[in-house]
Amino acid sequence: MIARLATTVVLLASTIPSLTATSSAAEGHPSDLRFERDIQPIFREFCFDCHGAAEELDGSLDLRLVRFLTKGGDSGPAIEPGSPEASYLLDRVKNGEMPPGEAHVPEEQVQILEQWIAQGAKTLRPEPETLGPGIPITLEERSYWAFQPIERPEVPEFPEAERIRTPIDALLRAAMPEGLQFSPDADRGTLIKRVYFDLTGLPPTQEEFNRWMTLTDENWYEQLVDAVLDSSHYGERWARHWLDVAGYADSEGNTVKDEERPWAWKYRDYIIRSLNADKPFDQFITEQLAGDELAGPLQGDLTGQQIELLTATGFLRMAADGTGSGDNSAEARNKVVSDTIKIVSSSLLGMSVACAQCHDHRYDPISQIDYYAMRAVFEPALDWQKWQTPPQRRISLYTAADREKAAEVEEEAKKLAEERTAKQKEYMEQALQKELEKYEEPLRRQLRTAYETPEKERTPEQTQLLDKNPSVKISPGVLYQYLPDAAEDLKSYDKKIAEIRAKKPKEEFIRVLRETPGHAPLAKLFHRGDHQQPKQPVEPAALTIALPDAGSLQFPVNEESIPTTGRRLAYAKWLTNPENPLTPRVLVNRMWMHHFGTGLVSTPGDFGKLGDSPTHPKLLDWLAVEFMNKGWSLKQLHRLILNSTAWRQTSYPDSQMSQIDPENRFYWRKSLQRLEAEVLRDRMLTASDSLDRTLFGPPAEIKEDETGQIIVDGPQKRRSLYIEVRRTQPVAMLQMFDAPVMDINCERRPVSTVATQSLMLMNGEFTLAQAELLAARATNQSKSIEPHVASTLPVLPEPAEEPWAFGHGQFDEASGKTREFTPLPHWTGSLWQGGEKRPDPTIGWVFLTNTGGHPGNPKFAAIRRLRIHDDGQLSITGSLSHGSENGDGVRGLVVSSNSGLLGEWRIKHGNVSTNVHSVSVQPGETIDFITDCQKDENSDSFNWTVTATLKHADGETVFDSERNFHGPVEADSYDKLPAQILTAWELAYLREPSPEERQLALTFVAQQLEELHRNRSGVAEGKTPSQQVLINFCQTLLNSNEFLYVD
Amino acid sequence: MNAYSRRDFLAHQSMGFGSFALAWLLKQERAQAKPKSVDHKPHNDLLPRESHFEPKAQAMISLFQHGGPSHMDLTDPKRELSRLDGVEYTGDIKFSFVNEASKKLMGSPWSFKAHGECGTELSELLPHTAEIVDDICLIRSMHTGANGHEVSIRYFHGGIPGVLGRPTLGSWLVYALGSETQNLPAYMVLTDPGGLPVDGVTNWSNGFMPALFQGTVLRPKEPRILNLQAPAHLQGKFQKQNLDLLQTLNQRHLEQHPGEAELEARIASYELAARMQTAATEALDISQETEATQKLYGLDNPKSREYGTRCLIARRLVERGVRFVQLFHNNQPWDNHSSIKTGLPAICQKTDQPAAALVKDLKQRGLLDSTIVHWGGEIGRLPVTQEQGSPEKAGRDHNGQGFSIWLAGGGIKGGMAYGKTDEVGHKAVENVVTPNDYQATIMNQFGLNYEDLMYVASGREQIITANRPAKVVQDILA
Repeated sequence: MIARLATTVVLLASTIPSLTATSSAAEGHPSDLRFERDIQPIFREFCFDCHGAAEELDGSLDLRLVRFLTKGGDSGPAIEPGSPEASYLLDRVKNGEMPPGEAHVPEEQVQILEQWIAQGAKTLRPEPETLGPGIPITLEERSYWAFQPIERPEVPEFPEAERIRTPIDALLRAAMPEGLQFSPDADRGTLIKRVYFDLTGLPPTQEEFNRWMTLTDENWYEQLVDAVLDSSHYGERWARHWLDVAGYADSEGNTVKDEERPWAWKYRDYIIRSLNADKPFDQFITEQLAGDELAGPLQGDLTGQQIELLTATGFLRMAADGTGSGDNSAEARNKVVSDTIKIVSSSLLGMSVACAQCHDHRYDPISQIDYYAMRAVFEPALDWQKWQTPPQRRISLYTAADREKAAEVEEEAKKLAEERTAKQKEYMEQALQKELEKYEEPLRRQLRTAYETPEKERTPEQTQLLDKNPSVKISPGVLYQYLPDAAEDLKSYDKKIAEIRAKKPKEEFIRVLRETPGHAPLAKLFHRGDHQQPKQPVEPAALTIALPDAGSLQFPVNEESIPTTGRRLAYAKWLTNPENPLTPRVLVNRMWMHHFGTGLVSTPGDFGKLGDSPTHPKLLDWLAVEFMNKGWSLKQLHRLILNSTAWRQTSYPDSQMSQIDPENRFYWRKSLQRLEAEVLRDRMLTASDSLDRTLFGPPAEIKEDETGQIIVDGPQKRRSLYIEVRRTQPVAMLQMFDAPVMDINCERRPVSTVATQSLMLMNGEFTLAQAELLAARATNQSKSIEPHVASTLPVLPEPAEEPWAFGHGQFDEASGKTREFTPLPHWTGSLWQGGEKRPDPTIGWVFLTNTGGHPGNPKFAAIRRLRIHDDGQLSITGSLSHGSENGDGVRGLVVSSNSGLLGEWRIKHGNVSTNVHSVSVQPGETIDFITDCQKDENSDSFNWTVTATLKHADGETVFDSERNFHGPVEADSYDKLPAQILTAWELAYLREPSPEERQLALTFVAQQLEELHRNRSGVAEGKTPSQQVLINFCQTLLNSNEFLYVD
Repeated sequence: MNAYSRRDFLAHQSMGFGSFALAWLLKQERAQAKPKSVDHKPHNDLLPRESHFEPKAQAMISLFQHGGPSHMDLTDPKRELSRLDGVEYTGDIKFSFVNEASKKLMGSPWSFKAHGECGTELSELLPHTAEIVDDICLIRSMHTGANGHEVSIRYFHGGIPGVLGRPTLGSWLVYALGSETQNLPAYMVLTDPGGLPVDGVTNWSNGFMPALFQGTVLRPKEPRILNLQAPAHLQGKFQKQNLDLLQTLNQRHLEQHPGEAELEARIASYELAARMQTAATEALDISQETEATQKLYGLDNPKSREYGTRCLIARRLVERGVRFVQLFHNNQPWDNHSSIKTGLPAICQKTDQPAAALVKDLKQRGLLDSTIVHWGGEIGRLPVTQEQGSPEKAGRDHNGQGFSIWLAGGGIKGGMAYGKTDEVGHKAVENVVTPNDYQATIMNQFGLNYEDLMYVASGREQIITANRPAKVVQDILA
């Protein structure tokens, strides 16, 4: 028997009374409980599965009507109206026997049941005489807001002072409670940025920004919106939104391998192109659901139009599908089907139909038959019993000419392949022979005979013999375990064959959903969703509850006029029919969510009872009608929204209105939005001017770094949209900022705020690299600062000498101080010395390395000098060693320019600690570490490393003679630094700093320079202090809230 | 400024929060894990949450033993197997390595002895574990039904054999209960210096949950936490200066957006990050431990030093409020297909003393009552020989039909040996425990009904056991 979608709406009156909302008994009617309104939802959730939904009734008890309840089942009447204590049903529910299993009816609902019976088990209206199969849809369920026809609401009028620019504003304003009104418009700079981020996911370039800032035209804003809608980056940004809900991924998922899904990107590019072209959304949906049905017969080379239409059906190939990569089981196939239905329903229906796969929906009036009627729409192309794996479903874009050329190359490859086959056979024989040598005759011969006998023809004895000696069962797959060299040889064949095949014309594919002509199976309802328990066939049809007044809408089982069944085409037409209450609302709500951060219905994938109700139902309807009236043009919808006062107002909160509506549910200001993961990354790339703005193409590959983090492989420059989406290998930075990990699809992204994000921005390689690039850009682009501004800025310190200097000189025994200090003139790349050659004709053997050195004759001691920049207490630890047994050893001296000799040590062939206890020091003072030869400079190589710790008012600074050792340092200048700092600010934020902010920025610079003068360990290798400060400043900008959020 | 005190308060509360969480926080409510209901709006924060009922355990340390420890040689003495050494096995058997397959039974080369008051027999390879038998519950009847490593690993972590993309046990616990510490990640993973375990990063995947519930990898060498330490030139004063500037900029920005909870949370998250840098560094500094403690964990022995260090770090983390810590080996050292006679003692020497020390140390610090310790792999090994040409080189192939793990602490009965394999150790035959039972039982000890802890992912109500048959193993509860 074929189950028609019997509509079992309980309707006695021919017109639906105006029921606006279903209110729960607990809130509204404790004293007047009614079956349809108060009891049926409880039964739907807990009881109907066994007592009403199916034809078979457990205990012959049907709970769908009150008169069935009083009649009862095998155990007698279920209820006794007016007498809860005599009601068997209540008894069983109360003592937890019903429903069986883990679920229990919550206490407050049990009370409702009890009261309802006590009140006499009343209904709202007389019950129907007859009832079709399934759970009846009640008037209350039918009156649920999401199933009402979409109607254009009356738009109220407001005085001009209210800044009502569009009907959107009028409807929002009308819903505002007393005390709320729209906030002032955001300033021009904020608006420009807001428009760019919203429509393109990128900040404006400097030039774009300046152009819009300076345009004097009165209509500058409207022009701005139009211009940015024309940007090709618009399509990229809004494609990403659609790809979330379509479940886009570049891998197949569902299996261990999570195999790569090549060519998925062709669908991604189709989306970008369609959005950029403002393809009417009804057409856009129809192409994605039924492009193959529109494409006509495929004969000869595909036309451009056909390729486009077929590519669109990639939408129905987005679900994870491991059937071509390891798991082609019935479960796996059916999972692909149910995931595809999930994607379609959450993106286009806004209903979680998935629950109805196993039983009637527990909360929404969606029956199990409804689910399988939807499944029947897709059955001809997604038939689990006539399954096609992903490789079988792709279509080659080869032309006839390409094919011919490829065949020639293949011929060549085939020859080599035949050679390989022969080789393999030979190796198998070798391996067998070797293995058999382990056995004595006659067993050896018996084993060989058994092995060589085809498996099906073996006698039971032979099978047993092989089972007993499993190592004889050699197959090509395990050949490597026996003859490793042979396996290598075969591999080299494979390589050569691959090389030849690489000469074929590059073959591209598209991933397509299409039907086999003439294949028109019906879906079967699966008992409890189990494909092993198929029940009656179900015809393709629309969701019953979404049809006006209790009708039903069947789709053709097999449309005669086209080669395909026409089911998906009919389905798409129904979805995009203005009568459909769901799809237009779902679409405009989704777009609203992307523009405002929250949907008018905050659960964009579920408009059912478990979802949220619309905050502004009239606005939702108005938008849906307007969207359809404007030819389903998405760009018109954007234009409308972006031109509204609601969207243009400032995000700065007004303190009084904040009190009334802290969550901004009434849109009295624009809510702040954190940049999405991709936008954040792209904004950094834009700020550093390293963004590659190329559109389309294969994804940028990813890799796992040594810590297991997934990063982009190679240059990091493409927009994040183009980074490979591997289901099991989400890119660390994107995932950290809430990009979806594609299980099925993503209806709405969470916005998380966690410390690990901060750590990533503070210390992660990507941010550090972008900061460096931004600093370089600021350096290149900075101009001089106007004198009147320059004069207001904090004064920066002069570049300071490096703390350490390397020279030669002599200790003056009489004064106890250094007599002279001359810097060593020549740097070899690793050490300082007198000239290119050693000994130097003038100063002799003296040199200094990172750990030690050599003195010259008594006049030329080696001196490592530390310059002090702060008042404080200095203490020194160190170790001086002299290795040679020859000569007279060396002397080490620590000498202060202020207080003279602080320590003296003599050492030969040994080592000595050179610690100096705390001593007061002052800025400008020098501490010299002098090593002299005593009398004889022969055999006087020494090691002397010291650590000097300076305690000062700001803390302590550690000087490490080994770590801080360096060659010549480029002379640093701070002259241009203020201009670079202010340029970096403008590049990152796209606005000039205020005078106060300039002060703040340069105060930071001055302070950090001071710190760097003290302690050079803050300067990365190859950088000067000024460069380092600029980089640090840039990184701070990239970390800041002004960078992470859009006003 | 008003924002300051609130920020400080926030900073004390949690590692991460969305604006919803923030609102709760401000009311100073402790969020409730709602029993018997589906959380249709999954949270994305680590606020401490109430369990469904009074918990026994607060934290768990899992010492995962990749590869399949040979239970017949370690924890499950089989006299019959020794008696039948060299004899043909008559039952059905599934091999992974066909070329080296044989059906010759192999008795254990090691002797077993009863230990402790409970008298549980253990192999001579585990002298230190022998000292804690009275504190552990040895389960000898584990069963995954699959011989493959990955299939069984995913079963243990995610609830379904072989299936990827599911949150791990640690994710579920952290999702359910949040974090007791504000300065450290709630779910930490300690990997081996030799590299990642088999199946890589999916061993600590958050699956369909937000990234917040993923295991944070503590690297085997410095820096132990990714992005925790600034590059050398930014460390100390310089990063502090940068952060001071950042907070100044953010404060000014906040002044334009008074009361914007999300911005306040972001400011707090930088303070937390900075605190984490100190707290995590301190938590990982084992030089603060006494020599006796270091010795207990075998840090004086080159063979056990590395694993002992990680076990010791695990204890320090749990002490500081980390909810779930898991240790992994590189690749799968227990996969003794060949030379089991030398390979097995080697890996035992690495793990035996540190694992036992962990239980002893937790106990002496009074932490064992509230901390579950788990020791075990994903499969066991076959009772038959895997031929390698000579008896010295022989090994054992995979076996998911029966194997052992042990649990200690957190309300698990000590001094118990539970379940049985058949007479040769091939199949679990009595009181069979599956990974789903294991998960249900662990959840139970944390005060959670595993069936009620739901997460709605892509419109589906998910639970850890994926609606597969599961039970809390009541017999092993104290």
